[in-house]
Amino acid sequence: MKGRWAGSASRVAAVAASRRKPLLIALCALAVLLAAAGYNWAQNQLDVSFHAFQDSRGVTVLSPDANFSKDFSDRTTLKLKFGVDAISAASDSCARCHPNGANNGRVVANVGVTRKYGDSKLTVGGEVSRENFYTATTGLVSLSRDLNKANTTVAGGFAFSLNQPQLHPSDTVEHQTAVDAYGSVTQSWTKGTVTQVGYEINQVNGYQTNPFLRTKLNGVLTVGNSPDSRTRHAVSARLRQALPAETFFDADYRWYHDTWDVNSHTFALGLSHHFGSRVVGGGAWRHYTQTGAYFYQPSYTGNPTYYTGDFRLFPFDSNSVTGKVDITPKNGIVMMPPGSTLTLQYERYHATTGFVAGIFTGGVRIPLK
Amino acid sequence: MTRCHTLIVMILLAAASAGAGCATVQPWQRGLLADSCMIFDADSATAYMTHWQEAREGSMGGFGVQGGGCGCK
Repeated sequence: MKGRWAGSASRVAAVAASRRKPLLIALCALAVLLAAAGYNWAQNQLDVSFHAFQDSRGVTVLSPDANFSKDFSDRTTLKLKFGVDAISAASDSCARCHPNGANNGRVVANVGVTRKYGDSKLTVGGEVSRENFYTATTGLVSLSRDLNKANTTVAGGFAFSLNQPQLHPSDTVEHQTAVDAYGSVTQSWTKGTVTQVGYEINQVNGYQTNPFLRTKLNGVLTVGNSPDSRTRHAVSARLRQALPAETFFDADYRWYHDTWDVNSHTFALGLSHHFGSRVVGGGAWRHYTQTGAYFYQPSYTGNPTYYTGDFRLFPFDSNSVTGKVDITPKNGIVMMPPGSTLTLQYERYHATTGFVAGIFTGGVRIPLK
Repeated sequence: MTRCHTLIVMILLAAASAGAGCATVQPWQRGLLADSCMIFDADSATAYMTHWQEAREGSMGGFGVQGGGCGCK
């Protein structure tokens, strides 16, 4: 009996320690990012944010990130991004084999250089993302051009990604390539109205089955099998409208379709208001609805070619509400220069699958000398 | 994508392009357009929101080129 209690106590301690580890990683990363804010960069800006995500499955994700922008000249700008996702008590698919929870960590680094040529801007960049059982490497290029006295901006971009999921618990590494192209037109209609329409196409080839999510096939929980090719189309339309009394309205719509027959509509509406010169507050509502993939079924019998337990391929709706406030104190934020802005945001997300999540973000935007 | 969908995309882009010749906002009238509430570029909080929504939903994109994402997608 004593041994059982001792074993139980040590297991609880081990679980507690394992759950503290992501928090420690996140706090260390945040400390490094804040220390970077103290460096005397020249004519630059640093955004440091801390995101905390928690959902109804008990998954917690702590994600500090930093975005740094440096103007080398009036024509060349360097942008760097570094972020960490520290995930504890990972999802129900992990809990099947790890009843005490399983931790994960992700590091993402992004670099982009933008060069102006008259009314045009060319950006070349890349991104590397590393985590347990998944690696992604991306190269991207984008070009934009201002027309009509800068009232119209035409933009386009192209990205190529090589993604390598590992089929944990085996050591097998699969490969997936993604090609992404995007075009948009942004139009200022009046001194208080601007719109943007965009189209994006994304072609993914290679292994696309989620190796961790299982479905019932002839009564047995089995990892799914998804097609090796998927083409995705998205069309977006967005509006920003200035209203009287320092108030702003925004509306976004996105229509999405892919060759797996997932179709979705996303609507988002928001209002923001300037409370004096130093506080901006706002709220937004988002509604999302999607159909299931053509091979989705709650369970499978016989010998189907494709089957899935991936919740992203189920039909469902979701709603989320977001509240946000930006505060720019007159004398700056503690140890940070005047002009620094503190951002606090909270989002609550409900899906008809029963999934509920709360996401808090706290961040500072620091203008550097 | 069906021909109908392609047509809708083309009409939207053409309509937006057609607007290029209509707008007459002068540089000195762009104060409101420069307000942070009028900017389409995502800040860190919005970018994170998009990231985790794409990890939970079957659709993605529409607002700019994508990186390789993460294993959660």
